Formats: sequence, structure tokens, C-alpha cells
Amino acid sequence: MATARPSRINGKVVIAGLAITLPLLGVLVANLGRDPHSVRSPLIGRPAPAFSLVPVGGGAPLSLENLRGKPVVINFWATWCVPCFEEHAALTAAARGLPDVQFLGIVYEDEEARTQDFLQQRPSPYPSLIDSEGKAAIAYGVFGVPETFFIDGNGRIVDKHVGPMTRSTIAALATKAKEGAR
Amino acid sequence: MVPILGRILILLALLAASAGALVGFATGMRPNAAGWKWARRLAYAFAAFMVLANLTMEYALLTHDFSVSYVAHVGSRRVPTWVSIVSLWSSLEGSILFWGLVMGVYIAVATSRNANRHPEYMPYAVGVWLACGAFFSFLLAGPAQPFATVPNPALDGPGPNPLLQNHYLMVIHPPFLYSGYVGMTIPFGLACAALLVGRLGNDFIRPLRNFLLLSWIFLTCAIVLGGWWAYEVLGWGGYWAWDPVENASFLPWLTATAALHSALLVERKGVLKGWTVVLVLATYLLTILGTFMTRSGVFNSVHSFTQSAIGPTILVFLAAALVFSLVLLALRVDTLGAEGRLETGPSRDVIFLVQNLLFVLFTFTVLLGTVFPLVVEAVRGVQMSVGRPYFDRMSVPVGVALLFVMGVGPALPWGRATAQQMRSALLPPLLSALLLAIAGLVLGVRNPWTLLALFFGGFTAQVTLSEMFLPVRQRMRSHGERFAEAFRQAQVRGRRRFGAYVVHAGAILAIVSIAVSSTMGSSKEVQLNKGESSTLGPYTLTFVQAEQVTDPHRESVQARVDISKNGRSLGALYPRMSQYENQREQIGSPAVRSSLTEDLYVSIHNIDSASVGLLVLINPMVSWIWIATAIMALGGLVALVPSLRGAAATAPGPVPATPIAIEGSP
Repeated sequence: MATARPSRINGKVVIAGLAITLPLLGVLVANLGRDPHSVRSPLIGRPAPAFSLVPVGGGAPLSLENLRGKPVVINFWATWCVPCFEEHAALTAAARGLPDVQFLGIVYEDEEARTQDFLQQRPSPYPSLIDSEGKAAIAYGVFGVPETFFIDGNGRIVDKHVGPMTRSTIAALATKAKEGAR
Repeated sequence: MVPILGRILILLALLAASAGALVGFATGMRPNAAGWKWARRLAYAFAAFMVLANLTMEYALLTHDFSVSYVAHVGSRRVPTWVSIVSLWSSLEGSILFWGLVMGVYIAVATSRNANRHPEYMPYAVGVWLACGAFFSFLLAGPAQPFATVPNPALDGPGPNPLLQNHYLMVIHPPFLYSGYVGMTIPFGLACAALLVGRLGNDFIRPLRNFLLLSWIFLTCAIVLGGWWAYEVLGWGGYWAWDPVENASFLPWLTATAALHSALLVERKGVLKGWTVVLVLATYLLTILGTFMTRSGVFNSVHSFTQSAIGPTILVFLAAALVFSLVLLALRVDTLGAEGRLETGPSRDVIFLVQNLLFVLFTFTVLLGTVFPLVVEAVRGVQMSVGRPYFDRMSVPVGVALLFVMGVGPALPWGRATAQQMRSALLPPLLSALLLAIAGLVLGVRNPWTLLALFFGGFTAQVTLSEMFLPVRQRMRSHGERFAEAFRQAQVRGRRRFGAYVVHAGAILAIVSIAVSSTMGSSKEVQLNKGESSTLGPYTLTFVQAEQVTDPHRESVQARVDISKNGRSLGALYPRMSQYENQREQIGSPAVRSSLTEDLYVSIHNIDSASVGLLVLINPMVSWIWIATAIMALGGLVALVPSLRGAAATAPGPVPATPIAIEGSP
């Protein structure tokens, strides 16, 4: 302590420090929340790609064409995807609460047997379709699961959500799809 | 059960760190033995809880306990056991947990080594370390929680990122990186303590420098291991792309290197104390900036972690650390007055300054290039990338200039040099400089920067080798000893100096290899049908067939490419494309045939049973970059080990000589 002189503020340090750090922090703050990987889907506003797929467990193929006039929510999912699993409850609840919206699952890169087991343990009020060759996923430009598309009654994609959703997000986006038809 | 145990351990670590930070600062302000004892105990407790939390996570990973959220995200029953073990650092939450482990070990080692030394400084240092520890514990307790409970656990998980499973280098790179990054916490705490006490004496610069050097060795290895991994795995043929995440590791390395050099001037002449402290603080802040860059999802990079919620939290910590550092510096830096005086004329002193300024200039250049795209996007809303041209154009002159001062500095004496001294110091190395440059010309080097790198490389190599063995030659002359005996004797006193020159030798080799490999290579893209051949330089490549390879966790298609050089067969290379379980993207693995002169590098663009699209490169001298790094790390260790032993042996008072081996720390 012998050499310590009474403290004085070193103005040069303050000015140099602020000149370097403030702009840096400003830029970082301004960019928070930005996702450099997110590319706005070019499909938004366009007609949803058509498909005709067989539901899990068999049955007649379901096609998007036949659902025209009703807003549709298409959820790409898989049994091996943890966020899909977390999202499942929100989706089934939203589907029950919105009877005028048609929910559809499309199984992404998964085995039918596993999917069947999954759905037996966790029943879902809407059908999930098997996309065995991944053609629907490619047509919709699915990058990873879960990804969910919101389609209005005219068959136009209104919005797309990447990652798991909560019930309120689903409801908000489904409303957008309902309004989109007008 | 396991998630709860993990959460309790994290909370205990948070508690120990927060309490320890408070006790440390309080004891620093009003020194007393009891306070110091408790600060130490809490530091050890923090370390112990972090170790236990990590062991708990390893247990969960190995027993595939999918009720632990982190295991549910990265675990899988289908991956080999070693993948399960290293999954600890394969994803965001686990990597922060591992960070806590490394931090705990560093803090415990630094505390116990200095338990009976530097009583004025140490409580403050422990306070600062544990404050940093408290922040990372807080991250683990909340925003990046690895031990959340999964209510209805799945039977199996997706497994870690396939890139981690693709190459063993990805297994060892992160531990080195964290050991380098986290290690910078220790010098940061010591520098803050010096500011708080208002003095940076010759005795205290020693632990500061040692921990800085230790972390520097790890960081050096980590950066190059990262580059090596990129080279062996990513398939574009290079080892460094000035990617934000690469820059994130390079920035603190630059300031740490500068600080290691200026610390020498503090020790030798009692000057540049404030400047050295600034560099040490900046190094730590840059590691936090790097952590933010890799984990906030703000920067676009091939190897950052995915988008996460911890970005804002780290940013708040970075801002707090910046404010703390700035206030501390503004209030206290004037108390670290200089004891000596820097020479102004032509001398080693001045070259040290030039070297330091070059490193700082380099830091700003890289930082600017990394952040600039963000500025543009914030202001104009367009995505852009600064890219390699900027970085290459800026870094090449700085690199060559550093090579130059690395030769001139050690050649000049301390203090002002006379004209005669200058001539005898600077003229002889010109011989090697010219020899190497002419050799380059003969071998076809035409790029002026590469020639300049060879010229200065030769100059600096001669100075370095002659300085490295100067004490040995002096002993041989004055004591009439044989080389081996003189070498051994010279090591007793001058090991650190010797180690430093070994590091320089490695650095010269690294810079020259980088210059040659980045300018003297050749490449070609070809599409080959089955049985067809193509040539690049002396090599002929023939696509023999596509082969299917099945491993438990992946399906691969590999191309068998027969290689011959000047008509002589060299066997086959097998670049491949792999499809991992549960991952959509295919991952290519290049095949590299390395030799000391050049690498033949083959990677696949596209492949089917009848044809293959290949990228073929000849990369000269790349192996020497890896060798040069090993030399640098070795030199660092040579310089470090005796000073640790020496410190223990010469410390005043009854010091229990804690034999903490360097190999023992993370």
C-alpha cells in the first residue's frame, strides 16, 4: 500500500475504454435475437405444395386438395425429436380447442412402427401421415423438425414456425390462417 | 433422482462461489487470517461441487438416464461409449457445465499454490475468480440448465452432433479450448487484485505470468487443433477461414501473447505495468466475447452452437465485466507507477513495444472484421460477410512484420545499442535470410509476401537458434565444458529463456508454413466416371468404385480413389459421405495423404455408383503447421515448468512445496 497514491480518475482510460467498448456493446445488443440461419420461407404467400399420403396405421390416402375451404395446420415431426415430443401435448390440446381447423401431422424420416407405438401411447385427435420417401418434406423445404406450416382455406401458406410451439403460438398462427381466407 | 442431485450440486456451487466472492473481497479490504481461510475453503468447495456435478452428468450420460434434459438432448443408446463420455461437451448446456469443471480446477490449483503467498493480493484474486464462478454457476442454475427433469422420458435420444462423432480431433479440441479460455480467468483475477491493491510487484507478476503462459499453451494448441479438425473434416481443403468462431479463439490469443511479452518488461525493468494489466483484462474480456459469439447465435458460423437463450445473459455479464474493468482501471491504473524507464533509441526495449503494438493492431483488425457484418446489418439491414480477402490482406503484412521483429528484437541488446553492436547483431542473420529466400525462388515461389516471409523467416531463425544456444556456447568457452554438460548447466538457470526461444522457433516455422501452404498450393475439381483418371501436378487419381460402408451409427458411401505419383502407385484414398442416424444432412469426410513436403487432399462433392465429383488439392507444408504448434507448446512447457519449481523452492517462509504437476491440471 506504500506506493498507492490518492486515487484520481484517469480520464484517458475512461475515454479510450468507452470509445472501444460502447460501440461494440451497442452492436452486440442490436443484433441480439437475430438468427443468421433463419431464411424466411419463400413458400409464404404461395400455394401449399400438394400431397397425398397414407395415415399412420393405414387407410385411404389423405390429400391437401380435399381439405380446401378449411384452414390447415401441418406439423412435421418425428419420434426421435425431443422438441416434437415436448410440443405434442400443446398440439393435441390446440387441435381439440380449434375444431374448425384441420390439423395434420407428417412424419419426417422415421419408421412407421415406432410412430404407431408413439401414437398409441399418446393418442392424437388428428391424423399423422407417412411421408416414406420424404417428398412432402422436400416440397415444403423442411430443414429440421419440428416445423409447422399454417395454410388458409384457399390452400395458401400463411406462415411457418420452426421449432416447438406453445398452445398460444399455435392458436395465434391458426387464427391468422383462418383470417387469411377472407 | 439424478436431475435433482445435479441441480442441488449446481446450487451449492453457486452458493459457494457467491459467498466466497463476498468473503474474498471483504478480506481483501480488511485483511485477516480467518477471512482468508474461509475464502480458500469456499474456493475449494466451489471446485468440489463442480467436479461432482460433472461426475453426476457423466453418470447420467453413461447410464442413458433420459430423465436428465441434457441426456435427452444429446444422449443415445446406439452410440459407442466414448461418444457418450465426450457428449458432456458436445452441446451447449454440457459445455457450460464442463466449463465450470475446468474453472473449478483452475481456481482450486491457483488458490492452493498461493495459499501462503501474496497475502495482500490473494483474497481479492479469489474474490474475482469466484465472482466469475458464480456467474457460470448461475448460467447452469437457470438459463443453460443441463439437469432439468424430463417428465416422461423417452426410451432413446438422438445422439450428439454427428460432427463430434466424425473425428477424434473434435473430442480433444474442446477440452484444450476450455483449458485455454477458462484459464484466462486466473490472470484476470490476479491483475484485478494488483489494481485493487494498487501495486504490481516483481514477485506477483510471476504467478500472473505462469497462469497466463499455461492458458496460452492450451489456447495455442486448441486453435491449431480446431484448424486441423476443420482441415481433416470439413472438406473444403483449408484449415482457417476467418470464421467468427475461429476469430473468437484467436482474439484472446493475440492479446495474451502481447501480455506475455510485456510481462517480461514488467519483470525486467518495472515498466509497462498498467499496459500489461490492460492486456490481461482485455484477454479475459475477449474470452467472454468469444463465449458470447459462439453461444448467442448472433454470429453466422459453421461451428457455433445453436440459437439459445443464454446470449443476453452472457452479454449482461460481458457488460458488467467491462464496466468493472474500466472503472478499476480508471481509478487505479495510475497507482501502478513505473520503477524503471524504457530505452528510446534502437534497442530490444523498443522492439518489445513495436511487437506489442503490432499484436494490439492485429487484435483490432480481426475484431473489426468480425463485428463489421453485424454493424452493416444493424444499420442497413442487408446481410454481408467481410470474408477472407479483408482478413488476408490485413493479416499478411502484420504477420510478416511480427516475423521481422521476432528476429530483430532478440538480436539487439537491452538498452541502447551502438552502431557497431547493431551491425554485428543484424548483418550475420542476413545470410540465412538470403539463403532461404533464394531457396524459395529456386523452388518456384513468386508471391512477394511469401518470399518476404521466407527472407524474414531465415533471418529470425538464425537469430533464434544463435540466442537459444548462446548461454551454452558461453559456458563451453568460459568453463571449457563439453556441449552436453554446458547445455545441462545452461538449463539450470536459463530454462525459461531457452523455452521462450523454442516457442519462437515454432512460431517462425508456423508462419513460414502458413505462408507457403496458402500461396503455393494447387487445386482442381473433377467429375470422374468409374475407371476414369485425372491428374493434378505429379499425381494421377483413378476412381475405382463406390463402396457402401455400414457402422452401427452411420451409413457411408466411400469412393475408392487409387493414387499414383509420377507413375508410382501410392495406394488408395477413401473420401466418403456419411449419413448419421437421425440426421438429415450428409456429412463428407475428406481423405488426406500427408507427407512432410505436401498433402494430397481429396474430398467428395457428389457420388453415385457410376461416377464421383471430387475436389482435389495439393497443399504444401501443411504438416509443418502441426509440428510447429507442437514445438511452440513444448517450448511453453519448458519455460513454465522450471518457474513453477523455482517458485516453490525460492518462496519465502515455510511454504509447503505443493508439487502440482502441469500435466495434472486440465
